[in-house]
Amino acid sequence: MTDDRQSVNSLLPVVYQELRRLAANYLRRERPGQTLQPTALVHEAYMRLMKDKPGRWQNRAHFCAIAAHSMRQILIERARARGAQKRGGARQRVTLDERLMPGGERSIDLLALDEALERLAKIDPDQARLVELRFFGGLTVEETAEAMEISPATVKRHWTVASAWLARELEGNSQA
Amino acid sequence: MNKERWRQVNEIFHTALEQDTWAREAYVQTATAGDPELRREVQTLLASHQNSPAFLDKPAWAVDPELALGDDGSLVGKHIGNYRIIEEIGRGGMGVVYAAEDERLRRTVAFKALPPEYTSDPGRRERLIREARAAAALSHPAIATIFYLEEINRELYIISELVRGRTLREELREGPLAPSHLLPALISIAEALVAAHERGIVHRDLKPENILRRDDGQIKVLDFGLARPTTGSQTTLLTQEGAVLGTPGYMAPEQLTPGAEIDGRTDIFAFGVIAWELATGEHPFGTDAASVISKMVEMMEGKTPGLSRALPLPGLDGIARRCMRRTPAERYPSAQALLADLRALEGSRISTPLPPRHDSFWWWQGHQIIVSILNASAPATMWAARNWAGRPVGPMLFLASLALATISVALRLNLFFASRVHPETLMEHRTRVFPAIAVVDTLLAGSLLADAVALSKNDHDAIAAIFVALAAVMLASLSLIEPATTAAARLTRSRSIK
Repeated sequence: MTDDRQSVNSLLPVVYQELRRLAANYLRRERPGQTLQPTALVHEAYMRLMKDKPGRWQNRAHFCAIAAHSMRQILIERARARGAQKRGGARQRVTLDERLMPGGERSIDLLALDEALERLAKIDPDQARLVELRFFGGLTVEETAEAMEISPATVKRHWTVASAWLARELEGNSQA
Repeated sequence: MNKERWRQVNEIFHTALEQDTWAREAYVQTATAGDPELRREVQTLLASHQNSPAFLDKPAWAVDPELALGDDGSLVGKHIGNYRIIEEIGRGGMGVVYAAEDERLRRTVAFKALPPEYTSDPGRRERLIREARAAAALSHPAIATIFYLEEINRELYIISELVRGRTLREELREGPLAPSHLLPALISIAEALVAAHERGIVHRDLKPENILRRDDGQIKVLDFGLARPTTGSQTTLLTQEGAVLGTPGYMAPEQLTPGAEIDGRTDIFAFGVIAWELATGEHPFGTDAASVISKMVEMMEGKTPGLSRALPLPGLDGIARRCMRRTPAERYPSAQALLADLRALEGSRISTPLPPRHDSFWWWQGHQIIVSILNASAPATMWAARNWAGRPVGPMLFLASLALATISVALRLNLFFASRVHPETLMEHRTRVFPAIAVVDTLLAGSLLADAVALSKNDHDAIAAIFVALAAVMLASLSLIEPATTAAARLTRSRSIK
């Protein structure tokens, strides 16, 4: 696992760059001309790079999990750095009630989400992994199903309950 | 909550969702009878599901793009050190760029705040500072000059020449570059590469987004030597020299190979991709992400990617392909060699990215021949009618028309043959010659009309009428038909320079 992490890391910048490109597109409210999916990109590239070491990267699920996890780390670490920068260590928490903003976007406290996801992992590791793949890895329902080797219907079921649970956890946080 | 309990909650939650809305509450009451904690758990989950049905539906980078960009809101209006931030002028992988006023020197500069992942690690920070120093020593018209690297409150800022203009990416949105812009732009970029490589500075992230055309036409390459590996977290990467950085689609294979050496030939690869894209308007590896990736994968497997089509400029096709070879050794050994080939290509002027369309071009050529015959007929008929027009007017007008017709026919035939031999320079050639043709043709029609007046005085009205008609045909051809055939053959400036 440590070995794998290291290999993924050397491609992380590409993921990262891609992430920023996507983010810039969303920020400019432009429809991205081509939605290049970071997880898929890194996977394709690594499948070939590592082909002289058979067996290791044959499992897409394994790979996507690591890539999505890396993406999560990148964002969480940046969120933490931003919080530290702004409030001298105090946490920034912006949780908007979307009922107050019809059609508006709800901003999410990524650090709170990260912590909630940790808690979810304790009671249901599969659901936590699923959220990581979909939310941080950007995989679709079908791709998540393929990566986790479960049916799309099961993905949807897990997703419904996990997202409701996380939404509730984050609401609780903002009230506290 | 334990796993067993959670499974139970899940079960009731999903079954409740399957019920009709009105029956849901009753179902939950029944299913959780005698267990108020379980009931509250399910009820709150259902409520939060109803309140935020689309929660987390967007991927993380869409939820907080500013976070992914490393941008903590705009700096516009703020004072940082001696700089007053005026406006945002662009954003990209290396952070946000602002126009700012340098209050000491009272000039407007480009102000770029480097994102923390470039600066948090001391080793990398050191290296960045070193590289910025090297890049600041670069002075070339096609390179945006770096003025300072400022360290203000532990943040790093790069202060450079402010370039107002459009990126080549923006120009590409309107299609391939106009033929008259293509080679000059490529030569400017290659010159910038020569200047930088001579000082040992490799760009590493050359792409249309990083190249600007200033409003006065000057090409400027931005961010030389500043592209450096980025990562979110792992320190393993921070200590790895030559780790991956670049933009998929412009990265040379060696940039994807851990430990491989990066040198000027890495930029030459990206140059090939850019040359191709500027000439055709499309990325050589395809228009969608999947095909770009599959070509990158092909390269990693050791193949030079196959390109499905040829560039409309044969000379440039070979140059671009050589740049995009998989192994650095197969590419141009230096930017200097690349530049030499580009200049030779420009010298040979075989640049016709927009060759005249065949059928409409034929009309233009036909028009030149017909008008030549028509013009030649004017002195012939005036010779026949010289005595009827009276002396000395008839013979004098004949001589004048002979001279004018000779010039006109010679110029038009010259254009006709030029169109067959050097079609690529025809547009410039025609633009130069046409004013003379217009004047001569008009004078020729005038001499016909003058002859008609003289004929009519001597009561040769029928012949006078023929001459008037001939003059009218000439003038109509010059003012109406010729512009139409010329435009159809795409020989006018307005069509070819957008």
